[in-house]
Formats: sequence, structure tokens, C-alpha cells
Amino acid sequence: MILAVLFANSEGNILVERWLHWRSFLVKLGAENLRGVKNEELLVACHKSVYIVYTVLGDVSIYVVGKDEYDELALSEVIFVITSAVKDVCGKPPTERLFLDKYGRICLCLDEIVWKGLLENTEKDRIKRLIRLKPPTEF
Amino acid sequence: MAQPLVKKDDDRDDEEYSPFLGIEKGAVLQEARVFNDPQLDSRRCSQVITKLLYLLNQGETFTKVEATEVFFSVTKLFQSRDIGLRRMVYLIIKELSPSADEVIIVTSSLMKDMNSKTDMYRANAIRVLCRITDGTLLTQIERYLKQAIVDKNPVVASAALVSGIHLLQTNPEIVKRWSNEVQEAVQSRAALVQFHALALLHQIRQNDRLAVSKLVTSLTKGTVRSPLAQCLLIRYTSQVIRESAGNAQMGDRPFYDYLEGCLRHKAEMVIFEAARAITELHGVTTRELTPAITVLQLFLSSSKPVLRFAAVRTLNKVAMTHPMAVTNCNIDMESLISDQNRSIATLAITTLLKTGNESSVDRLMKQITNFMSDIADEFKIVVVEAIRSLCLKFPLKYRALMNFLSNILREEGGFEYKKAIVDSIVILIRDIPDAKESGLLHLCEFIEDCEFTYLSTQILHFLGIEGPKTSDPSKYIRYIYNRVHLENATVRASAVSTLAKFGALVDSLKPRVFILLRRCLFDSDDEVRDRATLYLNTLGGDGSVVETDSDVKDFLFGSLDVPLVNLETSLKNYEASEEPFDINSVPKEIKSQPLAEKKAQSKKPTGLGAPPSAPVSTVDAYEKLLSSIPEFSNFGKLFKSSAPVELTEPETEYAVNVVKHIFDSHVVFQYNCTNTIPEQLLENVIVAVDASEAEEFSEVASKPLASLPYDTPGQTFLAFERPEGVPAVGKFSNTLRFIVKEVDPTTGEAEEDGVEDEYQLEDLEVVPADYILKVPVFNFRNAWESMGPDFERIDEYGLGQRESLTEAVNTVINLLGLQPCEGTEVLASNSRSHTCLLSGVYIGNVKVLVRLSFGIDSSREVAMKLAVRSEDEAVSDAIHEIVGSG
Repeated sequence: MILAVLFANSEGNILVERWLHWRSFLVKLGAENLRGVKNEELLVACHKSVYIVYTVLGDVSIYVVGKDEYDELALSEVIFVITSAVKDVCGKPPTERLFLDKYGRICLCLDEIVWKGLLENTEKDRIKRLIRLKPPTEF
Repeated sequence: MAQPLVKKDDDRDDEEYSPFLGIEKGAVLQEARVFNDPQLDSRRCSQVITKLLYLLNQGETFTKVEATEVFFSVTKLFQSRDIGLRRMVYLIIKELSPSADEVIIVTSSLMKDMNSKTDMYRANAIRVLCRITDGTLLTQIERYLKQAIVDKNPVVASAALVSGIHLLQTNPEIVKRWSNEVQEAVQSRAALVQFHALALLHQIRQNDRLAVSKLVTSLTKGTVRSPLAQCLLIRYTSQVIRESAGNAQMGDRPFYDYLEGCLRHKAEMVIFEAARAITELHGVTTRELTPAITVLQLFLSSSKPVLRFAAVRTLNKVAMTHPMAVTNCNIDMESLISDQNRSIATLAITTLLKTGNESSVDRLMKQITNFMSDIADEFKIVVVEAIRSLCLKFPLKYRALMNFLSNILREEGGFEYKKAIVDSIVILIRDIPDAKESGLLHLCEFIEDCEFTYLSTQILHFLGIEGPKTSDPSKYIRYIYNRVHLENATVRASAVSTLAKFGALVDSLKPRVFILLRRCLFDSDDEVRDRATLYLNTLGGDGSVVETDSDVKDFLFGSLDVPLVNLETSLKNYEASEEPFDINSVPKEIKSQPLAEKKAQSKKPTGLGAPPSAPVSTVDAYEKLLSSIPEFSNFGKLFKSSAPVELTEPETEYAVNVVKHIFDSHVVFQYNCTNTIPEQLLENVIVAVDASEAEEFSEVASKPLASLPYDTPGQTFLAFERPEGVPAVGKFSNTLRFIVKEVDPTTGEAEEDGVEDEYQLEDLEVVPADYILKVPVFNFRNAWESMGPDFERIDEYGLGQRESLTEAVNTVINLLGLQPCEGTEVLASNSRSHTCLLSGVYIGNVKVLVRLSFGIDSSREVAMKLAVRSEDEAVSDAIHEIVGSG
């Protein structure tokens, strides 16, 4: 299961939080480790039996938490899909303002990527079409 | 919980302002009225939905009325032809539906979309419908879903498959009917469809070993398109290997070639999964391990932290069982000690400690010393534990390792870390005789400057046991007596006891110890003075030097023989009177512990601290607890309390278990809750129960928990009434409701305003065994004869194919909840038949005796004869009914 997906700004305020409430734990983890990290460089941690993969994209930090089959490698796949979709929607690694301007689109992307704990889509181009209700190109 | 997005410094440009600045739920709900406009403004509607999503994603909750109102207006938007808006509508319906009552209102629109010619409408309608559907609706749309699974459009197929995975939890019997279509989808050319179909098919068939094995056999020969699906297949393959291990022939392991082939896959995810599967094979040989270790070794020097982490984590596990296989990686591992990511560094260190040989210990210790200064306590504890194991492995190296431990003991660190070190030293002293004297001196030096009362007293206690047995006990006296001058009263009192132990056990020191003890008679603290007086009198410190007899030693230093918790409770309940307190009246059984304590106990060897605890009998404590709650005081006598049933997974934020208390015509659920988040304070904690699947129960009272701070277990109660004497059964679904307040970790103070929140718990069942009390009889035959055959009921049952006879016997014992007598719950290995004797008391205080005779045939079919005798015909029948319906 993918237990949680969380977006926060550079001050640790929450922008998007889905499913379980992990905010305090994740924000603390980010505050301790994300300083100076390059865009999309992945960091990893584990806590009891869950894994956490997180990164920075522009002004936004992104966290994904999973367990069982969603171990660190599967989660890095998930976070890769998320970052590429967000970059695609925003056109670049977003500032906080840009992220919030595109908030609706980003929510739709997330809806296409993870739904209730399972990874659904993995290609940004396909996601871009799906959120406009267009069928995938390969079809 | 929403944290307002306040701008921190005002120097930034205006464009930095959030578009959601000052967003407020009430205002957004007002705005949502635009959904009702006859002339829809799609752009505006999309903006409002975005705001609603923003609120929801911040943790804002809508009341039922609010959610329902928005939900109704959103459904009007189906009239719009705007595609972007339609996509938003699908999303917001999914988000709102769990809290809205009237989902039925959208089903017709969604059903229409589900049959639409536009594929994307179909896909989205399926996702939404499956989210809000119930069993009845699902049967209506099942036909469409089956079609969708094999739809040409991969998005439609995936939508249906993923929905299937979710629906399998709630409506398994329906989803299981789709396996032909899912099977077809597994062969799909679209990578993701194959991935989702494989996951669903495996879940449908997971209990059918043969089917899983067939699935794995066919897929490992065919092509799997997506790396994700390949990873699943590797997992299922390991499962098949594991399950077939019992009857495997000698020779090559089935599927090993497939796993090994995956090591050459182009996706890292697949390589890693295969490598891990190989390392986890049961009884893996070195030849089988080598290729897996080689790829993991390559990952160790990857530039991606995730890969390094995954590799070192796996190698760390391998090192526990096959340390030699990992030694080749030691050089790469050593370079990871300086890894930026501390989790990786710690894993590397602990792996090295497991794989290192005796000659490399010294070099390793040097590296670790540098590393220790810049990691957090939690990692240091892991390292300390690894060093302890290493020392037990190479006892000759104790000097270097003990020195290391004593050095880090002197450095800065929190209580848990210091305790881990002290525990380790104590274990080494116990297990390595040569290390004893130097270890004790290290501990003595530590207490000279120890800020933790708990550790000081524990060490003093330990010194009292071990010190007198050393070659020169006198050298410890100085350290002990210093405590009497320099410490707080608790430590001083312990030091007095330790001194007395030296006096009692070492005759040559006795006169000098007495002098020191006499000085303690003038201490400012009562307890210290009392102890000194007691020891001086019993040991003969009044001037005459006498042989200390063994009774005195036993009295002073022997164990109390009762659990301290029980002693404490008994003393608290004791009211001063003529009758002196009698220590024999203290119960010797150990009460059940709160969850947090249970968690803290581990299988690791314990150093200082309490002896291991025994199992539980708890009715007394529960009875006292329940009778102290006025709402429950008229329920009569408590008949039975169940063992705690866990309602949460072990690693979640809130840990909740429940104890079922059965009274004559009531049932009380005692929810034991623990909050594991330091930054939260929960208030008004209550469990909301849906008892719609427990018709004979009606809720009569509840007792919320006012406050649940971090890591302090608390209880909330819920009472139900049920027909008197009737063993009603049912299923209860539970939701934890509370107000959560953020706590500032630096000050420990909670914010004033809290937010309502809830947390889903597992379901709870009241089963027939809850109405049966385990009461043993000591001579079953006599009891059986004297009960007589008046209300005897005998019947035979086929239990079907079973794993083993033992499993069948245990299942029936657990189902009935009776006490096995005369050790008949234990079976001889390979026995083909068995008789098991059970006894107990049924609700209404009716004695029950049961004689079970089992037989197993060559195809592992188990037959059982059940004979019941009781004092009441109806009860004998009831026992048969339990078995018949179980």
C-alpha cells in the first residue's frame, strides 16, 4: 500500500496531504535532511515497517510513504511519476505560487497516479491526456 | 489541522501571495452555489471545486449537512458539456462521497457515463461508481465491469481492474466471479493493464495454492511487459517456492533460473526484487546466493541513495544468516560509513559488525568512533546493540569493545542511549567472566557522573549482586559511598542497600561497612535513615560481629516473589487497621500490560530490569476498574473479560486494542488507546461504533476519554445491552473520534484550538467463545462421571481437509473457548487420532465438559466426534451449535 502522499512548502506548511496523517513526522524529516538537496534528488528513510521516499521540486517538497510491496524502490517509481507530472503541469520546477496556481490540475494528476494506495499510471504524457479526458495516444 | 498559509516576510512581490490566501470554508461553501446557476460558468465552477479540494487536502472536514449540500449541487454539473469541468466533477464526487448520505443521486448519471461512447467517461465513471457503490448496486453494474476489464482501451481496463482490487475487500464473492476476464487481461499487451490484472488475479486466487503455482509457471515462461508486474511476479514466485519447499525433491530449486535471469533485467527495480527474493530463499546455498550478492554489491556504489539504501538493507539481513557471503562487499560497505544518509551509514556499520572477523575488529572500531559523533541517538542505539552481539561472538576482543562502550558512555547522550550502553555492559559482564572486573569499574565511573537516577539505582543494585563476588570487593566501596554524599534521596537509599549487601556477603568488610551505615543514620531523608537502621539491626551492626544467617540474607536481599505492580496495588488498597498487611495476600499473577509496555519489550536479551513476565489473569483488575465507573455499576457481576483484540496495525499513529467484558445482560467494550505521535494531544477520545451487524445489541452508555497525551495509554468505554443470558453474537465496526491538538515538541505545550478528526479501526466481533469461561477440572474422568449423561449430546462432524491434526485440534479449542484439561491440547507428532478434554463455565454459570475425538486419514480429511455434558440441556445444544456454525 502507498500509505501517504504529502506536499509541503519550504516552511513546512502543508499543500496537499492524502490519506494517513504523517505530517509532523514527515515535515521534521524534511527539515532535517532536505536543506541543500538538488531538485528531484531522492532521499530515503524507514520508520518501523514503512518506507519513506522524499525529494524537493522547486519550492515544494514531496513525500511518499508506503509499506509491503511499496518499498523504497517502488516508491521511487511513484515519486518519479509525481515529480514528472508536476513539472509537466507547471512547465518547470514550481515556485510555491505556481504550484498553487496549478492546484486543480495537480490534484487531477495525483488522482490519475495514485488512487487509494495503488499506483495507477506511470507516464506523464498519458497522465497529461487523461486529466483532459483524452484517451492515451498508444490506443 | 489546517496550517494557514501565512506569508512569512512581507518583502516578497505580490505575486508570491497564495491564490488561497485567507480561504475560509464558509465562504467557499457559499461560492459553491454557482453550481446551481441555470447558466453554468464552467470556469468559475472549476475554480470553486479547486478551492474545495484545497480545503479537503489541508485536512478540513465538512459536516454531513455541508457535504450533502455540496454533493447535491455538484451533481447538477453533469449537465455541462465542458470536459475540464467534468473531469473535476468526477474527482470531487469521489472526495465528498464518503461523507455524503445521498450518493444514490449520482448513480444514474454515472451509469449513463459508464455506457457512454466516450472511453474516458467510461473509465472515470467506473472509478467513481466503485468508490461509492454497495453490494446491491454492484450486482447491477457487474456486467459492465466485466466488459470493461477486457476493454480495448487500457485506461478503461485499468480503471475496472483497480476498482476490482478495492472491491475485493468489501464484496469478495462478486469480484471472484470475474476471474476469467481478469485472466484474459493478464495477457494484455498494455503494460499497466497487465500489472493491475496480475495483482487482482493473485488476490482472487491467493488461497488456492495450485492456481497460484499455475499462474506463476505460465507467466515466468511468457512475457511480462511492465517492470512493476515483473516485480509482482517475482514475489509470487518466491511464495510458490516457499510453499513447495516442504515436498521439494533434491536437485535444482524450481524457478531459481527464472529469478537468476531477472538479475539481468534492465530495470533496477526488477534486479533488486530478484536479488532480494534469492537471498530470502529458505536454505539458500552459497552458489545460489553469489549472483544476487554480486548485483547488490554493484548497487552499493550507485549514485542513487534509494539503491544504496535498498542494497545495504538487504545485505544487512543476509549478514544475519550468511555473514560469510557478504564479506566480499566489506570494502564498499566501509565507504558507506561516511554516507550522507545516516540510515545507510548505520546499516553499513551494523552489517560490517556482523560480517567482520576477529582481526578486523580493531580497525572497525576506529572507524565507528569517528562516525558516532555525528549520528542521532536512535542510530547510536542500533550500533551499540550490534557491538554487543559482536563482543559475544568474539569474547577475546572484549577489551577493545568494552573500552569503546565505556568511552561512549562518557559522552553526551539521552537516556535511552545511555541505557542501551549500560545494558550492553551488564550483559557482557554476565556472559564473559574475564570482562567482569573491568566492566564493573566502568559502571562505577559512570555513576560518579550520571544524571539519570534510574540508571544509577540500577547500577548500584547490580553492583550489590556482582561486587561482593569479585577478588577485591573493597575497591567498589568508595564509589558506592560517594553516592551517599552527592546524590538525591533515591540514589542515596539504593547506595545504602548496596553497602549493606557488601557487609552481609563479605565478612572482612563488615565492620567498616557498619561505620559507613551508621553515618547514614543522620541522613535528611526518612527512607535512607530507615534503610540504614534496618540493615544495622538485622546484620548485627549494634556492636557485636555475628555470622549473618541465611534467613536474614533472604529477607534482605532475596526476591519478593510477587510482582511489584501487584504489591503496589495491594498496598494502595490496604487501609490502616489492627490487621497488619500480609504480603501473602498479594496476588502472584501478572496483570496485562498496556500496549506501550508490551511494545517496548523485545526479544533482545534484557540487561538490568525486571524478570520476564508470565501470562495473565486479569478479571480482578477489570472488575475493580469497571465497578469504579458509575454508568456500569448496575450491570451485575462481570462474567468474563476477553484477551485484548488489536484493532490497529502495529505501526500506525494510534494503537488501539479492545477488551470485551461480558455481563449477564450487557457487554462493555474497553478500548485501550495509545497515541504514538509526540506532536499530538488527543482530547474527547471516543470510539463510534456501527452495530448494524449486531442486531441484538443496543448502545446504552459510553465513557469518553478526556485526554490522550503521547505514549500514555488511556481507556474509553462503550456499553451495550443485550437480551439477558442470550449469547448474542455480532460484528461491530469502529471509528476512533477525537479532537487533535498540535503539541510544540520543544515546550510540550498543546495549542489551544484543536481539530476534530477520526481514524478508522478494524472491525470487532463478539463470538460464542466470549460467553464461555475457561475453568479447568483436575480429574476430568471424575467430573465427567459425576455430571452424568442426563444432558449429554453427541454428534459427529467432518472438518474437511486440514493442514495437520494439531491445527484441527487447536481450531476447535479456540472456537469453543474452553479450557483444555490434563494436557490433552498437546498431540504426539504424526498421531492419526487424538482425544481432547475441555471444561469451562457457560454464561449463566452452567458447567460444561467436552470430550473431542479426532481422526485424520491419508488425504488429511479430519473427522471429529463431539460429546458434551452440562448441567443444562440448552447449553449442551448451544455447544454443538457453535461447532456446527463455526
